[in-house]
Amino acid sequence: MRLLVVEDQSLLRQQLAQGLTRHGYVVDDAADGRAGLYFATEYSYDAAIIDLGLPLLDGISLIRQIRAQGRMFPILILTARGDWQDKVEGLDAGADDYVVKPFQLEEILARLNALLRRAAGFAKPLIEFGPIALDITAKRVTLAGQGVDLTAYEYKLIEYLMLHPGQVISKTELTEHLYAQDYDRDSNVLEVFVRRLRQKLDPDDTLHPIETIRGQGYRFRTDA
Amino acid sequence: MTATTPPTGYSLQTRLLTAVSVLLAVFLGLTGVVLDRAFRSSVEAGVAEQLQVQLYVLLAAVEEDAGEFYFLEDLREPRFTQLNSGLYALVNTPQQEELLRSPSALERDFDGLFARWSALGRGDTYFSREVAADGEEYFIAAYGVVWENGQDQYDFVVLESTGTYLAEVNNFRASLWSWLGGVAILLLVLQVLLLHWGLSPLRRLAQDLQRIESGASEQLEGAYPRELSPVTANLNLLIKTERKQQARYRETLGDLAHSLKTPLAVIAGVMHGLGDSRNTAQATVSAEQRHTVDEQLERMNQIVGYQLQRAVKSTGSTTLSRRINVQETTARVLRALEKVYAQQPREIVCDIDPAIAFLGDERDLMEMLGNLLDNAFKYGRQWLSISARVSLAPARQLSLVVEDDGPGIPAQQQEFVLQRGARLDTLAPGQGIGLAVVTDIVGSYGGQIDVGTGSRGGARIQLVFGNFQLNAAEQPSS
Repeated sequence: MRLLVVEDQSLLRQQLAQGLTRHGYVVDDAADGRAGLYFATEYSYDAAIIDLGLPLLDGISLIRQIRAQGRMFPILILTARGDWQDKVEGLDAGADDYVVKPFQLEEILARLNALLRRAAGFAKPLIEFGPIALDITAKRVTLAGQGVDLTAYEYKLIEYLMLHPGQVISKTELTEHLYAQDYDRDSNVLEVFVRRLRQKLDPDDTLHPIETIRGQGYRFRTDA
Repeated sequence: MTATTPPTGYSLQTRLLTAVSVLLAVFLGLTGVVLDRAFRSSVEAGVAEQLQVQLYVLLAAVEEDAGEFYFLEDLREPRFTQLNSGLYALVNTPQQEELLRSPSALERDFDGLFARWSALGRGDTYFSREVAADGEEYFIAAYGVVWENGQDQYDFVVLESTGTYLAEVNNFRASLWSWLGGVAILLLVLQVLLLHWGLSPLRRLAQDLQRIESGASEQLEGAYPRELSPVTANLNLLIKTERKQQARYRETLGDLAHSLKTPLAVIAGVMHGLGDSRNTAQATVSAEQRHTVDEQLERMNQIVGYQLQRAVKSTGSTTLSRRINVQETTARVLRALEKVYAQQPREIVCDIDPAIAFLGDERDLMEMLGNLLDNAFKYGRQWLSISARVSLAPARQLSLVVEDDGPGIPAQQQEFVLQRGARLDTLAPGQGIGLAVVTDIVGSYGGQIDVGTGSRGGARIQLVFGNFQLNAAEQPSS
């Protein structure tokens, strides 16, 4: 999952970025509204965390412009003042949730999880397709009730595919959302992860949960 | 602009009208008296002149023979011959002994009239107005005459009853005072109209100020007379400055909040990082220490939050307030909260008359609604309700009620939750200052807050205000 963090206070921005990276997210960060708008326009994100008090372009204007460009990824706002006018204006402008400063990283993670799940159209934290179930709060995948042992990258890959079920996801998109910007896209890492996932999730070779669409990418089958 | 003293004394219009009325009464009264006097003197002078003529007539009409006086046939003035005609003639000795009286005076009693003068010299005249013993009033003209023999002296007297004169004077008076009265009324009416016109800019100013106070307009608009325009320009400037200052004050406090809370967030993050590494060689902080720092951070955060909320909210006075549509603001807050709580859909009942307007600061209303509705979303299960009711009698009040179907607030804790930082459920997110902030804001508007149990067993918070307006014709909602 690729996140955009727009926060002007450098220490807090670093903390957030490090904390989120530690929890498996790919994070781009921006220190002001204009840089934030540039990132949001140029790259594709799964969610954004935007502080309302930003230099150059304030948070609410940034959110409006992001939405005006048709970018519909969930946005979590950070507000220091915490008064309802700010929250309501932010949510009206197109944000989806808010967190009042100061906050614990867990709170941000919980809100992000809920937003990502909602954006994928799931109301509950447990996403199930046949015997395969994904718990994005616990970051765990089960097969017929049994925990599947996955590496961090294997988990990120299956989470992204299961949050976009039935959609063809290109290798470029997967790479962008799974790794940091400077990843070498010519490697065969993705293919390796997909092969390992197929072995772990479909040991009997009967479900075929991940389809390869030649020349286009991968698709998680909803009828798996 | 905050302290208001009750209006004392009379209005400018009343003062000016009273002053002008008094002036008019004195002026017209004096004019009347002067005119009345002038008319009376002129009439009296006319009478004196006439009686003088009658005296000469009398002199010509009286003859004496051996000490006896008699009238010649031709008296020339017929009124001397008609009984009680009002014009009478007498010839007296200087000792007021009557020698002759005209036929008209045969039934008259002139007792007490002649003591007023004594011994008129030759050619002396006397003119006066006297009342006889029988109450009849006369003009008297007397003329001292030395008879032809050069020795005997007589007083020739002509009397005229004042009746005709009085009638004339009374007629004049009646018409004089009725004219003066008419003029006074006309002038007063004109004065009222002129004052109304002259003072209308002041009235308009008062109305405009009231409109600003009630939030219907932003500043004094329209053209005012030259004398008032410096005042209105200054008032506009004052209003603008006040609003700007409020906004700047809030921005400064917002910046302060940002600059205080961001470091708090950083510290919390660092603590979190230290806690995470407790199993490694870097572990320098025990779980207990971390807990203490967390607790202190949370307290600092609460204090900063609460004090900033207090400072940011307006003073609550309705001066310079705006008209805020309660339904629209509620809808905005509900829309925002529905987004936040999207994963827990519930039935929301919103029963607010669109005509109800809150007179105050939008930020304050939003803060109250936000905190109350957020709690209802947080603690409610499947249902929440917000309603606004207006009553005009016995007191004008707006009552806002927010209810949910959650666990409710136990009776013994209902007072406690209104205090600062109170938090019944420490697991629920939020800073625990919501209801305390609401209580503060409600208090600043002179309103009341009541915590109770709702129809579905959940919390029921009722806010009661006096500062509201019904935009349409005022009709209390049932």
